[in-house]
Amino acid sequence: MAPEPPLLTMSGITKSFPGVRALDGVDLDVQAGEVHCLLGQNGAGKSTLIKVLAGAHQPDDGTITWRGEPVTLKSPIAAMRLGIATIYQELDLVEGLSVAENVHLGHEPTAAGFVVRGKAAKESTAALLGRLGHPEIDPARLVGDLSAAHQQIVSMARALSHEVRLIVMDEPSAALDPDEVDNLFRIVGDLTADGVAVVYISHRLEEIRRIGDRVTVLKDGRAVAGGLPAESTPTREVVALMTGRNVEYVFPDRPPAPPADGTPVLQVRGLARDGEFEPFDLEVRPGEIVGLAGLVGSGRSEILETIYGARKPTAGQVVVDGRPLRLGSVRAAVGAGLGLAPEERKAQALLMLESVTRNVSVSSMSRFARGGWIDRGAELAAARAATRELSLRPDNPSAPVRTLSGGNQQKAVLARWLLRGCRVLLLDEPTRGVDVGARAELYAVIRRLADDGLAVLLVSSEVPEVLGLADRVLVLREGRVVHTAPARELDEHRVLDLVMEGSPVASDGSPVAGEGSPAS
Amino acid sequence: MTQPVSPPRSGTGKMTPVSEPPAWRALLFRADVRTLSLLGVLAALIVIGGITRPDEFLDTRNLQLVLTQASVVGVVTVGMTFVITSGGIDLSVGAIVALASVWATTVATQEYGFAGILFTAVLVGVGCGLVNGVLIAYGGVVPFIATLAMLASARGLALLITEGRTQIVTVDGILSLGERDAYVLGIPPLVLVFAAVTIVGWLVLNRTTFGRRTVAVGGNAEAARLAGIDVRRQRLYMYLLSGLCCGIAAFLLIVLSGSGQNTNGNLYELDAIAAVIIGGTLLSGGRGTITGSVLGILIFTTITNIFALNNLQSDVQQIAKGAIIVAAVLVQRRTPSTTT
Amino acid sequence: MAHRTSRRGLLFGTAAVSAGALLTACTSNESSDEPAAKDQPAADDKPGKEVTIGFAGPQADHGWLNAINENAKSRAEKYEDVTLEITEGSNDTAQQIGQIETLINKKVDVLVILPADGKALTQVGLKAMRAGIPVVNLDRIFNTPQAYRCWIGGDNYGMGLNAGHYIGEKLKDKPNARVIELAGVDSLELTRQRTQGFDDALKNYPNIKKVARQAADFTVESGQAKMAQLLQAQSKFDALWNHDDDQGVGALRAIEQAGRDDFLMVGGAGALSAFQAIKQDDGVLKATVLYPPTMAASAIDLARALGQGKGVGGLAEFEIPASMTLYSAVVDKDNVDQYMSTGFK
Repeated sequence: MAPEPPLLTMSGITKSFPGVRALDGVDLDVQAGEVHCLLGQNGAGKSTLIKVLAGAHQPDDGTITWRGEPVTLKSPIAAMRLGIATIYQELDLVEGLSVAENVHLGHEPTAAGFVVRGKAAKESTAALLGRLGHPEIDPARLVGDLSAAHQQIVSMARALSHEVRLIVMDEPSAALDPDEVDNLFRIVGDLTADGVAVVYISHRLEEIRRIGDRVTVLKDGRAVAGGLPAESTPTREVVALMTGRNVEYVFPDRPPAPPADGTPVLQVRGLARDGEFEPFDLEVRPGEIVGLAGLVGSGRSEILETIYGARKPTAGQVVVDGRPLRLGSVRAAVGAGLGLAPEERKAQALLMLESVTRNVSVSSMSRFARGGWIDRGAELAAARAATRELSLRPDNPSAPVRTLSGGNQQKAVLARWLLRGCRVLLLDEPTRGVDVGARAELYAVIRRLADDGLAVLLVSSEVPEVLGLADRVLVLREGRVVHTAPARELDEHRVLDLVMEGSPVASDGSPVAGEGSPAS
Repeated sequence: MTQPVSPPRSGTGKMTPVSEPPAWRALLFRADVRTLSLLGVLAALIVIGGITRPDEFLDTRNLQLVLTQASVVGVVTVGMTFVITSGGIDLSVGAIVALASVWATTVATQEYGFAGILFTAVLVGVGCGLVNGVLIAYGGVVPFIATLAMLASARGLALLITEGRTQIVTVDGILSLGERDAYVLGIPPLVLVFAAVTIVGWLVLNRTTFGRRTVAVGGNAEAARLAGIDVRRQRLYMYLLSGLCCGIAAFLLIVLSGSGQNTNGNLYELDAIAAVIIGGTLLSGGRGTITGSVLGILIFTTITNIFALNNLQSDVQQIAKGAIIVAAVLVQRRTPSTTT
Repeated sequence: MAHRTSRRGLLFGTAAVSAGALLTACTSNESSDEPAAKDQPAADDKPGKEVTIGFAGPQADHGWLNAINENAKSRAEKYEDVTLEITEGSNDTAQQIGQIETLINKKVDVLVILPADGKALTQVGLKAMRAGIPVVNLDRIFNTPQAYRCWIGGDNYGMGLNAGHYIGEKLKDKPNARVIELAGVDSLELTRQRTQGFDDALKNYPNIKKVARQAADFTVESGQAKMAQLLQAQSKFDALWNHDDDQGVGALRAIEQAGRDDFLMVGGAGALSAFQAIKQDDGVLKATVLYPPTMAASAIDLARALGQGKGVGGLAEFEIPASMTLYSAVVDKDNVDQYMSTGFK
């Protein structure tokens, strides 16, 4: 790399939101003319970091240096003035305005200070679109009438309509087909040739290999690797950095013999949803933890939500205690004894304005009610018993749930199902957004619940977590179960190979179909 | 189907003795600040009224008057509090009151006497609420649109029934209920109904599973659904409840005015929504306070009363009302609030 | 064309209006060009040339407006030679303009328009006049006389004036008399005019003082609410003028609920319930000042006369007048029977 000072240096960037530390001392440096890739799972802190860079969030701590000068990015406008443009994943275009109006929104070419010179705007927009390889987009068309790919181009034209030195692209290829991706890469190449730096965010490792110069990997709000060479770093190492742990967690001991002989409490038969996952079978016995390992987009969350009735399957059956469930009904699933701790805890599980007690009791209110009338004493006592069982802190059932840490919020969700007396616990990324130190405790809680007779189905993108916690593991790739084995027969590298390559070969060398029934 | 939780194990060794941490007090204090600020506004108004018109304002009859005037829209406001707490909105309340009040006072209905009028008013209210609720909960129509449509149709139907005429009530039982002889221990029956609706509303919202579900649906519908709550049915109930309150309010209005008219309930939706919001219920749902809503309505009624007693004209009254709404909301924004 | 000829014919008619009426027996529908027609009075019941009258009014959401529609309809039914094209009432200016334009396109002979908003509908009145369709402007007046051939309406100032004089005469011997006013919708000009007339009349009686005024909004509900406040505010007063009998239903209810009967009340408009109360004479309501909905029937008469090229009976003029302001009579116990049939519900 050139010895000149980096275009941008961010160091020690820290940002907290109530209940979670989104960024914890992140460092990032970007050189002029390079494509710097930012990698990380959902919730790793990528979007918070780029919002800090775009001036949309103010960091709690840390410094930003721009072309050798320390700067504060007080607002998106301040960032724009420096020459930092951001293209967000959710396009921030106004659908009811034309292409040209969107491109020049907020800095319209004007005459006499306020009269918009529409023709000038259209001409400069047409020039930008031509430079981006899409001269066929009419600057006068409404953005709402364009395809997603063309909207992306418009968004990019908007970024380039300013004097730009650094462009942040948040998963720009997600909505594009291969031809358009090629065009995108050509544009990125042109930009870097002009000395513009690109911060490129993507899940797709092959893209990063094609266009990236360096890679920074985020995990749990920390940069676990900074400035790795994009071409020469092995894929496995990158994936391990994204999904692996940087602290050795302590996993609880498994029971000496997996209870393979018990009657399964949850049976899934040929369950499928078109376009999401293919038919598979699954059985979970009381006391057993079954893990589903797979990357984002492998269908793992969809499987859990379908079993739970939040999505309606296109084929198959879910049987609890020998009785088939009415499909597509959460109430039927909850009534049969299923409980879900969803991936997006705040959006899908918690009533953020309410107390811990009410969050815990919400699924079993009628237990404490006579004729609809809640016995609040009994409710409080039961909720307190459940939260103490899980060592939820603070030990204060009246605390608003939003003041709790991520790990304790997760415990509140678990306590809800514990109180409900559920038989099958479906856990979707149970440690996402949970501070590293608090994870071991959460693992112990999950194992303890299984020991008490619950059947647990665990989804995680963190391979060590699945291997360390589950008794049996199903490996998913692109909606298909590619492998099933007892956890102790698998190791991280083997699972990563399966997850990445999807080689349909079981550990003993025999082919495995999309079957999830217990191997051996 | 479900089995209760096993009794908590002792000896995990990690438990700390129970002490009420400051978070709990902070929450209590915050709740109090909201209510206290409203009580403060009300107290200030009472002082103003007492200074400007001591003889007329600080008078039992005036207290009876203010409470009576607050009763009709107050009952509507209790229903509105539930709707807004659940994350919805009901723009049709005024129109439903109008329709219920004219349907219950047609010549044909009046032949069935007191019970006929009461029954019809409540039934029409619940019926309109049912239509709203089904459209919103099961038809997927946005509450704003569904209830706006109901506003237009109910007003239209009310006009069709009355042909613009004022329907005068001749049933003695109804008329006498609005007069001084019917006061119970000095309390007008209308006020008693309002008080009963308020108390029942408060208990239902704060002490029952129904109220909890309402709050849960408003706070996070997706979380409520995944927790096993029937979100759609709960939404249906909200509009039924609001319709029921409108029916009761229509009956009170019939008693109060001795008539039914298609112009009844004019702009109740705005008064009710404004009172609910200044009371401290979140417009986005998830937190609701009956106490705050009722204080909001009492504040409005007291303002109107003081202005009328001082012979100030309606333009000034409207300006003052707008200013008070903005002031109350600003005061609440300054109190430590939630980050969502 | 025929219609124009007959108008011109009128100019040459004789002055003997009543005589002309006697001479003419216009039984034929095709006889519009007969010079004899010009001598007929406006209110002639004898069938003349077929006239199609377009009628556009606001939404009848109020007793008085409903009475306007009914008066127009029943008057038109009385005439064999009149066809009434009545539109759906609307309070929406744009919608009413559209309705009137439809009537213009249908080529009705005469238009009777009670605009939802007089100023806003002036243009469409002008349009009709330019299209050769005479317009009878009912009550709410257009911006310019060019937009109508004839205006007929009530007298809001006169209402206030007559109410004030009636109360003034009743209280003239009472020292330090106090009166209060329950006004209508304050944002309407007519409310201001009524109040102005009332205040001007009271100036003639130095012993009387207006001590309070509150505005209701023409509804029973608001009448009850505002009156209840007024009663609480004024423990003693001698007379009340209420602008509108509909809100008066609520006001009377409030008076009854407060148990007050120590003053006299004068209403406004002329509702049947008010007439009945005046006749019974067992409450505070002693009189009401008319704002007669019969003006709609008169408007139909004028429209028919315009269509048939007649003048107004009883007047020496060849043409019907350009403007007619109705008298706001005070109806009290003595003359209530005479007006009972015009009371609206």
